[in-house]
Amino acid sequence: MAWSVMGLCGESPNPGPSLGKGVACLCVPATQGNEELWVQSVLEMPKRRDILAIVLIVLPWTLLITVWHQSTIAPLLAVHKDDGGDSQRDLAAGLDSKEYCLSERDIVEVVRTEYVYTRPPPWSDTLPTIHVITPTYSRPVQKAELTRLANTLLHVPNLHWILVEDSQRRTPLITRLLRDTGLNYTHLNVETPRNYKLRGDMRDPRIPRGTMQRNLALRWLRETFNKNSSQPGIVYFADDDNTYSLELFEEMRSTRKVSVWPVAFVGGLRYESPHVNAAGKVYGWKTVFDPHRPFAIDMAGFAVNLRLILHRPQAYFKLRGVKGGYQESSLLRELVTLNDLEPRAANCTKILVWHTRTEKPVLVNEGKKGFTDPNVEI
Amino acid sequence: MKSLLFSRFLLLLPWVLIVIIVLDIDSSRAPLPARVPSGGGAGRGEPRSSAARPPPQRRPEAALPTIYAITPTYSRPVQKAELTRLANTFRQVARLHWILVEDAAARSELVTRFVAGAGLPCTHLHVPTPRRYKRPGLPRATEQRNAGLAWLRQRHQHLPPPQPGVLFFADDDNTYSLELFQEMRTTRKVSVWPVGLVGGRRYERPVVENGKVVGWYTGWRADRPFAIDMAGFAVSLQVILSHPKAVFKRRGSQPGMQESDFLKQITTVEELEPKANNCTKVLVWHTRTEKVNLANEPKYHLDTVTIEV
Repeated sequence: MAWSVMGLCGESPNPGPSLGKGVACLCVPATQGNEELWVQSVLEMPKRRDILAIVLIVLPWTLLITVWHQSTIAPLLAVHKDDGGDSQRDLAAGLDSKEYCLSERDIVEVVRTEYVYTRPPPWSDTLPTIHVITPTYSRPVQKAELTRLANTLLHVPNLHWILVEDSQRRTPLITRLLRDTGLNYTHLNVETPRNYKLRGDMRDPRIPRGTMQRNLALRWLRETFNKNSSQPGIVYFADDDNTYSLELFEEMRSTRKVSVWPVAFVGGLRYESPHVNAAGKVYGWKTVFDPHRPFAIDMAGFAVNLRLILHRPQAYFKLRGVKGGYQESSLLRELVTLNDLEPRAANCTKILVWHTRTEKPVLVNEGKKGFTDPNVEI
Repeated sequence: MKSLLFSRFLLLLPWVLIVIIVLDIDSSRAPLPARVPSGGGAGRGEPRSSAARPPPQRRPEAALPTIYAITPTYSRPVQKAELTRLANTFRQVARLHWILVEDAAARSELVTRFVAGAGLPCTHLHVPTPRRYKRPGLPRATEQRNAGLAWLRQRHQHLPPPQPGVLFFADDDNTYSLELFQEMRTTRKVSVWPVGLVGGRRYERPVVENGKVVGWYTGWRADRPFAIDMAGFAVSLQVILSHPKAVFKRRGSQPGMQESDFLKQITTVEELEPKANNCTKVLVWHTRTEKVNLANEPKYHLDTVTIEV
């Protein structure tokens, strides 16, 4: 407070009369140096007016500072200012022995991202494109699985979704779904040959599920992208029932050859992961189920640089004669050696992808002929 | 004279600045409870302008009603995965406030860390379910949903009506399409829509005639007053606040009657608003995640590092 008064006093050579409000210059005596005069004038000024004048000067500055403080924080917290006030209130007595804790600190931290809801994010010229290959087949939960996968993919910039149906023709359900998401997509289809010797609609059990579809996507990539083009890209195989965190996509974007990371809920374990030595190189696999496979890793646990795919045009997933769990090895051994693998996710210590599986829904009440209207799409 | 003017100017300067800033804050803050806008377009959260001098003719967009999602959750291996993909969906929705209620005596570290990095407005509560209620066949997550309701009521008790807002109950393993949120935002009282993969059928739905719900198309106990799943309705905040005693009940509640017992406290079948194109489109699916196979987890010789899954 003193400085503002001082400032005002400092400007005018004659403190008292020039201000016209009777502000007492408490700090700077009159330049005349006549101390008695100054003291006298101080005592003479009516006290009420002094106080009023000081308040009149101090008040706006304090208001200004608080308002300015608020206005810089307001854009971030405008929605949540109410939450801050809540933590102090006492809880309703009617709720016996229950404790509701409001994590106010968390709320403040969480609103870092100001989301502008245009989806997907705008295409960037500098980021490598992530080509996500998803094989899918028709079953009751198909649309639900693809919907929530799309909801995740819509957050990722520079993402190209290659959806390959296991069907004779491209189905309208998928066509509509892809169009409505707004994602950058390619819609392919190839039918796994059915084994007509078996009853019903059984596929040939010797071909692992999704193999032909993934191979078709690889072939499409090789036909679409020129080997010598400089467009950077990453290829990732994403099954439609897994769960992916957004961090995973950023980890894989910097892949030079093949990058790997842990996957949760595979091989009968909480997670499987590569063994990484102190030098940051992969030297083995932390699995219980057949750890001596060349690449004891799940489909969701690795990503390949597009250049590598294009430069090795003969590398595909083996269709037949593949033992359970060796599918990934059948592709990776044609592309890379163990030494070339790049560990991600903090040297393979963080879980960024979960191999969740969705329960088959109970549809007993449909009966043999089907009860619900088949035209209503689920 | 010059010094007089100068000092006068200096005195008035802070007041003028205050007036300008207050005007700016008022114009950039969301306006007071506005009428519920019809039909949601893709909600746009515009970056706030902190211009010192706001254009006087710019009226702020009618504020979208906030959607409150109450999600009960409990600890099991797939918990973090479920919450992650649910968060990925919710983050695509404008003005959604997530109320996460743990079935736990204390806040777990996993969920606390998750909430801190979730990327959307989130409230983290917890309330344990008494052991005697954890038998199969008994309704689940009752205490947690009630905790969410209590928090919401408490938060708004001092604010004047009308309060725009919509509340729905989001279980952490269901699947939600983004279109659903557009549909529920226009709820005036209680709105309903079909749910996929529930009741032993491909879908269940309210039967609609002339824009009103006249019956229930369901595979299980169609004689219930509200034969609908927890994921099949949304309630406007105003209705919740004006019925302060409406909670999910335990005593005397038969299995499968939770939704009915709750809804009959706050509304009637005639008042229900059908959404999703007169309840002919499925926008939410009652998916369930398989129990994880952990048969190979070692009892001894555990890993050297502890990794959260």
